[in-house]
Amino acid sequence: MTLLKEDLRSRLDQVGEVDIVVGIPSFNNERTIAHVVRAVAGGLAKYFPDRKSVIVNSDGGSTDGTREAVMGADVDHDSLLLVSHKVPTIQRISTPYHGIPGKGSAFRTIFAVTERLNAKACVVVDSDLRSITPHWVELLAAPVLDRGFDYIAPFYLRHKYDGTITNSIIYPMTRTLFGRRIRQPIGGDFGLSGKVASRFLTKDVWETDVARYGIDIWMTLTAMAEDFRVGQSYLGAKLHDAKDPGADLTAMFRQVVSSLFGLMETYEAVWQKVGSSEPVPMFGLPFDVGLEPIPVDVERMKRAYQQGLRDLDGIYRSFLSPSTMEGLVAAAREPGEGFRVPDALWVRLVYEFAAAYHGRLLDRDHLLQSLIPLYLGRTGSFVLDVQIADAVKVEEQIESLAREFEAQKPYLLECWSAPSKRR
Amino acid sequence: MHGILEKTILEPFERLAQQIAQVVPVLVTVFFILLVGGALAYLVRRLTHGALVLLKFDRLVAGTGISGAIERTALFGSPSEFGARVAQGTVWVFIVLFALSAAGTQVTDALVARFVNYIPDFVTAVLVLLLGSAVSKFLSRSALLAAVNAQWAEARFIAGSVRVLLMSLTVVVALEQLRIGRTALLVSFAILFAGIVIAGAIAFGLGGRDLAREWLQSRIQRQPPAEKDPLQHL
Repeated sequence: MTLLKEDLRSRLDQVGEVDIVVGIPSFNNERTIAHVVRAVAGGLAKYFPDRKSVIVNSDGGSTDGTREAVMGADVDHDSLLLVSHKVPTIQRISTPYHGIPGKGSAFRTIFAVTERLNAKACVVVDSDLRSITPHWVELLAAPVLDRGFDYIAPFYLRHKYDGTITNSIIYPMTRTLFGRRIRQPIGGDFGLSGKVASRFLTKDVWETDVARYGIDIWMTLTAMAEDFRVGQSYLGAKLHDAKDPGADLTAMFRQVVSSLFGLMETYEAVWQKVGSSEPVPMFGLPFDVGLEPIPVDVERMKRAYQQGLRDLDGIYRSFLSPSTMEGLVAAAREPGEGFRVPDALWVRLVYEFAAAYHGRLLDRDHLLQSLIPLYLGRTGSFVLDVQIADAVKVEEQIESLAREFEAQKPYLLECWSAPSKRR
Repeated sequence: MHGILEKTILEPFERLAQQIAQVVPVLVTVFFILLVGGALAYLVRRLTHGALVLLKFDRLVAGTGISGAIERTALFGSPSEFGARVAQGTVWVFIVLFALSAAGTQVTDALVARFVNYIPDFVTAVLVLLLGSAVSKFLSRSALLAAVNAQWAEARFIAGSVRVLLMSLTVVVALEQLRIGRTALLVSFAILFAGIVIAGAIAFGLGGRDLAREWLQSRIQRQPPAEKDPLQHL
């Protein structure tokens, strides 16, 4: 095992075998990491007092005192490991859609530690969390330790306008492709079995863009595609530090959607056989928390959609089917509050984009960028649909969209097998 | 009398006959080369078309812009047909050169030599044009997408400007390679480019003085970051 340095290996050998490894990847998280470490240490002490555990902070070369903040946290230092992972300069400039730059390298190090310590469970949490409580550790680790689950995804309570990429593309697509209804496949905090961590380590993605920018969705989809026992845990609201790099929509959108489309190619043989979906077990008791209202400018989204259709018409017509184009143009003509991008049209659109990505009908980066104005239009349409709806109604709406994705799966298969035939 | 007749009439005829006897085989050879060459060029066209159809060439170039350009000319039915015609034309060029070379006169030899020496420059110019066209299309599309996603109203104008500037540069480089109007072209391009820049600067400065001032102020003074959509998309 050359991934871990000699001194770390010696340290791990001194530790011996453990039950739980909690990994905290970090990069310049001085403000929040001490709170995260304390919450994790508290969770381990409260919920797993008889289990041997270790906390691993894998840092990507912070310059702001993150390491000092970790060491300063009031916890048992014998169970605290500080390691570092390499982050190429380019990754510091082009940050991933979720979490820290070099998160893939951090995860790899944490999984290697998990394997070396022969841990039964590994929990990974973001270092910029403000809402983490000790209970999160239990919710993510207990299903693995006590119930034999291999992969636990988080389930956060979110405002109805939040998580629109997840709600309109990622959740319905992953559910349709792999038949498991994991509501938030790219949450950022996970619980894994040692077996899954070892399996992830065998994959050759660690030097690729998948590890650099799309590690969260890669892990969830890999766990589903390789038929591991997956579940989800209700963690309440997720609040994190304001410097979330995901603020740049274009970069974030490209990274997450390209990860999804790329994984569709990797697991083509798997998802093509899946015909329906089923819920996955949910752990934890859902409770209501107050969420800050979010002001959304629907007119701006609609303008983005209309401009996209006007200025990118030639690009769209080069790979979208005529009927989809017709639907998009008709939607753009709807005035004011009547503006809608219907579910069926949106599903066809996403499938045709996925097929065009697969068939390389356009430069892939250009293809993904050209989807953004249409996505904004769909988001605006969704906001108009649910503006007076409560959380239950919103969830029903998302479920209805997911069912539409499933119903149109034969169309995806048709497009996928002949990407250019649609034009 | 007999001697005069022989000298004035028969001898010139004999000389003409001898000259014709020398030229006719050459003409027959040239005619034969053109005839066989024509058949060969036709064969090459058919074979190339068949091969391109077999290789699904039309689909391969579908997204590159070549396809659209070919369709717009309305001269060729498809990119495969265009490719086949190019192959046929190339064969024809070499056949004509071969035929001229077979004529064996000073003028044709010089012409052939000049043409052959010109081929590398011509090929380079074609490659420059093809590469320039592909690069300008790619960069103009990148600019278009970036501008649309930034919701700039002038997105198409920006993309078109990028395309025109890059293609202008490409054409100048290609013509420079072909040694056509070197100085005049370079000077024209420099004047055109400088003119565009100056016109843009004047238009920005005069037409949008307030905008220019605000922009400069924003560059010099530190401004708070622009308000972003509070929505968490993930």
